[in-house]
Amino acid sequence: MVDADLLKGLPAAEAASVLELGKRTLLTTGAELFHLGDAADSIYLIARGRLRLTLPMQVRSREEDIMVEERSSGQTVGWSALIPPYRFTLTAAAPLETEVIALSREALNTYFAAHPDTGYAVSLNLASVIGQRLQLFQAMWVREVQRMVESRCA
Amino acid sequence: MEMLLMGAVLSMFGLAVSCLAFGAATREEPAAKKQPAKAVAVNARFFADTPAAPLAAHTRVPIEALLLQIENHVRLEQAAAECFLESPNSALLHSRTVSSLVN
Repeated sequence: MVDADLLKGLPAAEAASVLELGKRTLLTTGAELFHLGDAADSIYLIARGRLRLTLPMQVRSREEDIMVEERSSGQTVGWSALIPPYRFTLTAAAPLETEVIALSREALNTYFAAHPDTGYAVSLNLASVIGQRLQLFQAMWVREVQRMVESRCA
Repeated sequence: MEMLLMGAVLSMFGLAVSCLAFGAATREEPAAKKQPAKAVAVNARFFADTPAAPLAAHTRVPIEALLLQIENHVRLEQAAAECFLESPNSALLHSRTVSSLVN
């Protein structure tokens, strides 16, 4: 787990120290890790398995959870825990048995206050995770708008 | 003489009735001809409405299949967006999708 996206660039001992702040949680198949709108107190590193991130959508007058992203081992989910207003903006569920390491905001803030270099490196990694998602969804959004324009002008 | 005149008047009246009947009969014919035209119009509309058929067919797709189509669409769109981010250019940004949801 020391090569997780959130810990990239950290010395192995430092990465291990951050991981020691976490609590391992095992999710059974179908279990929900967090729900849209819940208070976000922890960020999660996926140790093994996979998580589906979903948003609700009306399909034939029925609300369905539509997958918008999938994350696997080594990747981070739940960064809403580190960004105000600390509310999850997606729902995360495990499509198969999955193990995550939950890092609480409180524990991270305390540790980073004592180890600012580590805090800085993790913040950069977090910015990278958020930035990648932003760019990905910008591109996806423009593609959908392009299709909408084409269908309107056809 | 009177009988002759009476016969002539009756003949004229009979001719007039015949003409009216013929006229009415021939007037009906164009109306009857319009019927196929109407049918053609109906046919044309039928074909014009054909794009609606897949929509109707879509509503018959089981919701589970529709959800799978949506999920597949999201995966394809993410893959396309990732390709664009690896090498940002307009062609990759607007590359065509094979998603059954939009085709």
